[in-house]
Amino acid sequence: MATVFYDKAAVKVGIGTTSETLLATDCSLSFSSAQAPLYAIGSKGTLGQFPAGARQGDVSFSFLTSITGKHFNQQGNIINGLASGIKEAAANTSEVSGVEIVFAGVSGLGYLNSYGVGVQSNSVSSSSAGFTFFGSGTQLPVTGRLAEFAGQTIQTGQLATGIAHGRYTNLDNFATSITAGDTSAANVFSADYSITFNHNPVYKVGQEFPMTCLYTNAQETLGLTEDIFQSGLAFDSAANDLTLTLSGLAQTGPGMHIELKGAKQVSTAMSAGMDDIVRTQKNLTAVY
Amino acid sequence: MLGRIRREAESITINRTGILGVQSISTQYESVARPLDSLGITEIQYAPQGAQTASLQLNTLLTNTLEAGYGDSYSLDVMQNFTGDIPFSGIIDYGTEKIYFSQGYMETYSVSCGIVEIPQTSTTSTIYGDFGTGSFPFWAQTSETPTSLNIPSYSSMEVNLDEFSSNRMTSFSVDIATPRVPIYTLNADKPDKVIAGTPIEVNVNFSLDVDDYKIKNMRFVPDETVFRNATITLKKNNSDTTLLSYSFDNMLLTSESFQGGVDSNAAANFNLRSFILR
Repeated sequence: MATVFYDKAAVKVGIGTTSETLLATDCSLSFSSAQAPLYAIGSKGTLGQFPAGARQGDVSFSFLTSITGKHFNQQGNIINGLASGIKEAAANTSEVSGVEIVFAGVSGLGYLNSYGVGVQSNSVSSSSAGFTFFGSGTQLPVTGRLAEFAGQTIQTGQLATGIAHGRYTNLDNFATSITAGDTSAANVFSADYSITFNHNPVYKVGQEFPMTCLYTNAQETLGLTEDIFQSGLAFDSAANDLTLTLSGLAQTGPGMHIELKGAKQVSTAMSAGMDDIVRTQKNLTAVY
Repeated sequence: MLGRIRREAESITINRTGILGVQSISTQYESVARPLDSLGITEIQYAPQGAQTASLQLNTLLTNTLEAGYGDSYSLDVMQNFTGDIPFSGIIDYGTEKIYFSQGYMETYSVSCGIVEIPQTSTTSTIYGDFGTGSFPFWAQTSETPTSLNIPSYSSMEVNLDEFSSNRMTSFSVDIATPRVPIYTLNADKPDKVIAGTPIEVNVNFSLDVDDYKIKNMRFVPDETVFRNATITLKKNNSDTTLLSYSFDNMLLTSESFQGGVDSNAAANFNLRSFILR
């Protein structure tokens, strides 16, 4: 039995020689083995349960959006760099290697399914990610035992300058503006970015786990909350290359970039609740 | 050498005008910097979590009235004028030090008076702008603090309510809550705008030395709801000059209480409530 308090249950993501211990706020990991019952004529009961697919695991976690690192030439945390690289791969070579994820002593080789970042006014930005562990060759998808896993404790307090924050993030470049008549530009209240990946593990006869995993496509969505309703939504709007820049306390450093290529606005909406203004939402999507 | 600052070295200026008759001032802020927690935490990092605001509480005798030149839409009570959508800025002086504040929005306003008392107002406000030390010369006081006292008192007060023909009112209070909705955007620590919320809740409380006052049957409320029109007029002492008038229509009777004791007269309290849409 291992009793592990949350302060010794770090989430670490590593690729090759580079790694980052994320400021995860929650994490869940599961491992499953699909078993299907078999029945046969002449036998009243089941013949038993038999494997119906390869064992695989999943891990998902939320984390504070750290922006100080640089991974794969992409400013920001390792997940952001990974997502940026994979969406390029989905559009090109398709084949990428998994990344090692360690959570409280349990590890696996994960393939990114989804990644999201949210930022709103006066709040610390939070991100989320989800991976699937397929295993590889003879390597199990999930290995290890629950054990304490954390870095060296530092007792000096400091300001979190390396965390994206709504107070310091400027998304005016995404604000809806109406130029006809009474010219006005929207205030941007919050933004939610997400990207999902479709991948295809390639299995071969003679082994349980896939020999490789190919990413097939990716779709990203950016939802913005504003105060202007764009009733002039175009039937076939122009595609734009846009850069979402998340900045941290005191706006130190270049901030974390997320590049949307060929983004189009696909929807607009407005809603109101009690004791609040009417807020509008617009969604941009890009596909790879 | 240790010194101290007494009331003569303290003052408050609101929108460049000194306020007379201040009984107490309190103001405070609490940093919104909070430690970030995470799985496998190895160090304490602080980040602002939420909007930074301050608060201001002010109690004044109802002796400071608005100077001449304002229209009829303004209340003579300087502070009551901030129950609307007008913000205020100001300076609190104590000795040689100053506390500046801007974008103050009143959240609650109350006025109360009892036998042998001068009416007092109490206000609480939220400061959405700047607060603390700094150089803000444009907020400096530009006019003299009024020196003429307009003293109303319980002896020069008129209350128009049916119950008072045979029951003696010993005290009253009017409490007004004015909700505020700050709208914050990305990349800013001050609100883009502060919306004056609605409805405004008004509570009027009366205390009576009772003679024939009848406590209602609580089963009649709200089926046989009792609505009242209440008007309270404060006049300058020993004169017929009206300083302030509070008038509310169709107030709902929401509570009543009765107290009796060996060393006091039988007393009753009741509360009237209404809501005003802006």
